[in-house]
Amino acid sequence: MLSTYIFLLFRPRSRNYMTEYAIDIVNVTKRFAEHTAVRDLTLRVPTGSVYGLLGPNGAGKTTTIRMILNIIAPDSGGIHIFGRPSNDRHITERLGYLPEERGLYRKMQVRRVLKFLAELKGVRGREADRRIDEWLVRLSLKTSEKDWGLAKIDELSRGMQQKVQFIGTLLHDPDLVILDEPFSGLDPINAQALKDTVVELKKRGKTVIFSTHLMENAERLCDSVCIIARGEKVLDGTVTGVKEEHGQRNVALALEGNGMQGVASILRDHSLVKRADDSNRFFEIEMAPGADPQALLRRIVESGASVQRFEMIQPSLHQIFLQKVGAQGVEEGMSGHG
Amino acid sequence: MAKLWTIIKREYLERVRSKWFLIATFLGPIFFAAIIIVPAWLASRSKATTDVYNITILDATGTNFGQRLAVAIAGDTADKKTVVRNLTPPELTQAESLATREVMLGGKVGYLVVNQQTVAGEAARYAGRNASSIPDMSQLRSALRQTILSQRLEGIGIDNSRTKELTFIPLDFSTERITERGRGGSGMASVMFGFAIGFLLYMTIIIYGQTIMSSVIEEKTSRVAEVVMSSVPTDTLLAGKVLGVGAVGLTQQILWVATTYILLKLRAPIMERLGAPTMSFGLPEISLGAAILFLLFFVLGFIFYSALYAAVGSAVNSEQEARQAATPLMIMIVFAGVFIQPVLLNPTGTIAQVLSLVPITSPIIMPIRMAVTGVPPIEMTASIGFLVIGCIAVLWLASRIYRVGLLMYGKRPTMREMARWVSYSR
Repeated sequence: MLSTYIFLLFRPRSRNYMTEYAIDIVNVTKRFAEHTAVRDLTLRVPTGSVYGLLGPNGAGKTTTIRMILNIIAPDSGGIHIFGRPSNDRHITERLGYLPEERGLYRKMQVRRVLKFLAELKGVRGREADRRIDEWLVRLSLKTSEKDWGLAKIDELSRGMQQKVQFIGTLLHDPDLVILDEPFSGLDPINAQALKDTVVELKKRGKTVIFSTHLMENAERLCDSVCIIARGEKVLDGTVTGVKEEHGQRNVALALEGNGMQGVASILRDHSLVKRADDSNRFFEIEMAPGADPQALLRRIVESGASVQRFEMIQPSLHQIFLQKVGAQGVEEGMSGHG
Repeated sequence: MAKLWTIIKREYLERVRSKWFLIATFLGPIFFAAIIIVPAWLASRSKATTDVYNITILDATGTNFGQRLAVAIAGDTADKKTVVRNLTPPELTQAESLATREVMLGGKVGYLVVNQQTVAGEAARYAGRNASSIPDMSQLRSALRQTILSQRLEGIGIDNSRTKELTFIPLDFSTERITERGRGGSGMASVMFGFAIGFLLYMTIIIYGQTIMSSVIEEKTSRVAEVVMSSVPTDTLLAGKVLGVGAVGLTQQILWVATTYILLKLRAPIMERLGAPTMSFGLPEISLGAAILFLLFFVLGFIFYSALYAAVGSAVNSEQEARQAATPLMIMIVFAGVFIQPVLLNPTGTIAQVLSLVPITSPIIMPIRMAVTGVPPIEMTASIGFLVIGCIAVLWLASRIYRVGLLMYGKRPTMREMARWVSYSR
């Protein structure tokens, strides 16, 4: 009784101690051989937010994540996690990490794998068993008919293995969850489960950062984003902020019938239109600097086309990404992992 | 420390639980038992067989010489298979052809002809299937001599019971070889022991070195390594692996040595069951100090090679690549293995001295030398010293390759690239 009390009294307070930023990266550079993976990167992830790290393959996303996790060290610059240096040994127990390509010890029993991962994060004994049971039931890997916890990893379907991996990432109830390309290779059901999990984590005050090159996912889930390309930050901020800053210059245009042919010459007029992207059901048009959307509408009407939709829209993250990074944004990464 | 323990525990338990470990651990002693018992059993086959009793004695002496001979051949076993036919010299030819037919049909193994010449100690004849068996023939010969001798003793008036006593000489004639290195007998035992030690270390390093390599490849290709590295420093992961797998190897060796020791102790009863006479087999005496040194060389040698295997495993992307990339390592170990026999034959030569100082070969060669000859303390200290330095150097090198290699996917790196990894900060 007394010992429990003393334990609680001297328990590290880190869990209750929350800083404004979960991740604070300042002027970080990482070089490999002749290749600079990350160049002078500065970004801050607000505590309790869902943060997207966006960029093409080879942009430096995985390198950045590995530095946050202290798997590799930056050549220069500093990384702080919840206000403490990233190489602080106790910080790793507050992080949960799901690597890009996933796998587990194939010949090992599911429960034993999970217990191993839990112990590495400082969750031991009965507490680990209790949490494993809870999670196995929650993700229906343990039902009254079948306890997959007793099966070996390679007896599980791919979808089930992915579930086991989620459990491994979240078992120690991390305050900061880092997911590298979490949606790649997920079946739709697990992808939905992952989205639900991310939303739930946020509700519980956890911080989630994930890298992706799928802008739609980022747009739906993220509070804030950072776009990086060629190892450098292109832009960052809240999703609404980024859109406001780069938006309201875009027009969604849809014409009745097959009338696009008639307006093709208008869309190529660079005094009016900077870029037009055919999204099949409508064109997303980025106006040229200083051009008046009303003038564009007049030209189209004058051309005789029948307008179905003409709407000022916020650009999608995808548009902003293309606009900012462009086709040249993709640089060969040293290993094909950004 | 708790996390290092977690990694050691996983490596150890997952391996000890595996079927492969159980099979190898139980088959090992059976294999050793076969090595120990089969040669002894085969050797026992060269003793006189029971066939020697299954003969016909054609007695043309006109005395009870044949009967007495039968008793002498059978000894205390009193085997009733020996048949004695008393006949006159003229009947002998016909009796011999009858006996020959009996042997040809398989009823008897052979027949022995005794006559007056035999009683005089001049000649006897034997024909049979086992005529080429030296032990069988020598037993017949000594039985004949014993019978002739006892008959002579009776002739000068010594009574029957006394002659038995006087002529019964159950001499166990053991032989020993002398070579330029001295008497071969006890020398043989220590050479066997040295060979066993060398072979055991050699096999364990190869088997468990490759186990570590596979384990590293599995963690790398499944990306578990990244998850683990996000929780513990890479050096801890490497140390945990080497210690965990090393402990498995040690467990297996202890089990092997213990069961082999017990088998050797139980050898006499087992041989008896097999119906083979027991031979004395001197187990070399091992002092506690020597045992600790053997253990030390095993541990250091294991660390030396397993760290290198781990580095190779981290640099490649598949088992197939690993097989190629581990060739230089394999050559290093096989190089040591090739010298096991030359060192056994000449444990104090220059080659043995040099090889037991070089860290690449010393973990295997030095224990062999220790088993077969005395090693000067200076050489022993130097050997351990160099091996410790070698281990530190290899660990430093391997941990640097390991932490970079684990995160590098795609093309297999060249030696030059791996050399560059060593210089990476982290």
